[in-house]
Amino acid sequence: MGILGADWKAGRFSPSLATLIVAATLSWNEAAWGAPQTFNTAITLVPGEFVLREQYVFDQSGDDPSGADRDRVAQGVISVLGYAVNKDLMLFGVLPYLDKRLELNVDGARRARSDRGIGDIRLFGRYTVWRKNFTGGLVRISPFAGLELPTGDDDESDAFGRLPADVQLGSGSWDPFGGLVFTYQSLDFEVDAQLSYQVNTEGGNFGFGDVARADASIQYRLWPRELERGVPAFVYGVLEANLIHKGKNAVDGITNQNSGGTTLFLVPGLQYASRRWVLEAAVQVPVFQDLNGTALEKDFIVRAGFRVNF
Amino acid sequence: MKAIRTALVVLGLLAAPAWAGQGANVYNVGVDGLGCPFCAYGIEKELGSMTGVEKVEVDIKTGVVVVTMADGATLDETTAKQAVETAGFDLRSFEPVAGK
Repeated sequence: MGILGADWKAGRFSPSLATLIVAATLSWNEAAWGAPQTFNTAITLVPGEFVLREQYVFDQSGDDPSGADRDRVAQGVISVLGYAVNKDLMLFGVLPYLDKRLELNVDGARRARSDRGIGDIRLFGRYTVWRKNFTGGLVRISPFAGLELPTGDDDESDAFGRLPADVQLGSGSWDPFGGLVFTYQSLDFEVDAQLSYQVNTEGGNFGFGDVARADASIQYRLWPRELERGVPAFVYGVLEANLIHKGKNAVDGITNQNSGGTTLFLVPGLQYASRRWVLEAAVQVPVFQDLNGTALEKDFIVRAGFRVNF
Repeated sequence: MKAIRTALVVLGLLAAPAWAGQGANVYNVGVDGLGCPFCAYGIEKELGSMTGVEKVEVDIKTGVVVVTMADGATLDETTAKQAVETAGFDLRSFEPVAGK
């Protein structure tokens, strides 16, 4: 893939072919994580109950160093269903419904590639190995592990041929992941942090690079300032950070030098939490991007949605 | 007269613990681990599902749950502790406070 990258810069490959390889840097995987708001592994559940999180995501990328003026929008609804088997074991399923669109210049003409439908489903479990409850809060540490299933189409085509990998709805591969999540919760604020790693295997002849992440979130109670008797709803101010490193993609075992890299997002947001409902919104702003070659840079990601226990 | 007052005080002291015995049906249950409204829902659900429980009121600030039992029903500390721990919390205190 390094050869392909050099040839792309030399103009010996069409932008659409190069895009297939280069733009694959931007997988939707990260959008399927998320809670606090950008990762799901810290969600609190009541034993024997379900939680449903619905999150609309608008993911814009458009800072293109390749000269093809690529502009990519991936939006969709991420549905997360969780169930607490008991106080320690939580099971989650994540179903993304996606609408992806990539526009770019090819031979002087503007070309649009798009696809819409179900993406790759993620299944994972979280088990709390250590917990300390105190008056007004708790601390817990929970490892988690799961698998991303190849349920999204990965071989769709349009009038211009096979769609680029980052416009396809799925990866076509079975991808295991795991990590550790830490939560400190008090009446005034909550801190969550996770470390995770996803091994992306090859689907067909294509493989996304592995993904390593370090995420943190603080939710500070803005309202009510003073707690009175009972259980009032809380409004939290939220600040999260996502440090994401993606390995280089590969086609037929050849590495694409124009893919992968490291991005740091800062994520301001708001959350309204009642006994059974949470309303939430946040914006992921990339404050640092060190991407390989001509990989397409992120502009921003908007997330908004709700959670409900039932 | 002084002897009568003394007798009344003694009788009052003897009578006071009566609600703390078999007739008590309102309890203050101190719960550790309640840090958010979502958590309050969890403990309400778990304690509310116990036989004989009429009402559950959470005070998140103090971490105290007031459990009111139906007429003739009582709650013992072992049962309360089990329910609290099943919900993922710890029992900090258990205090019968009154009869209805």
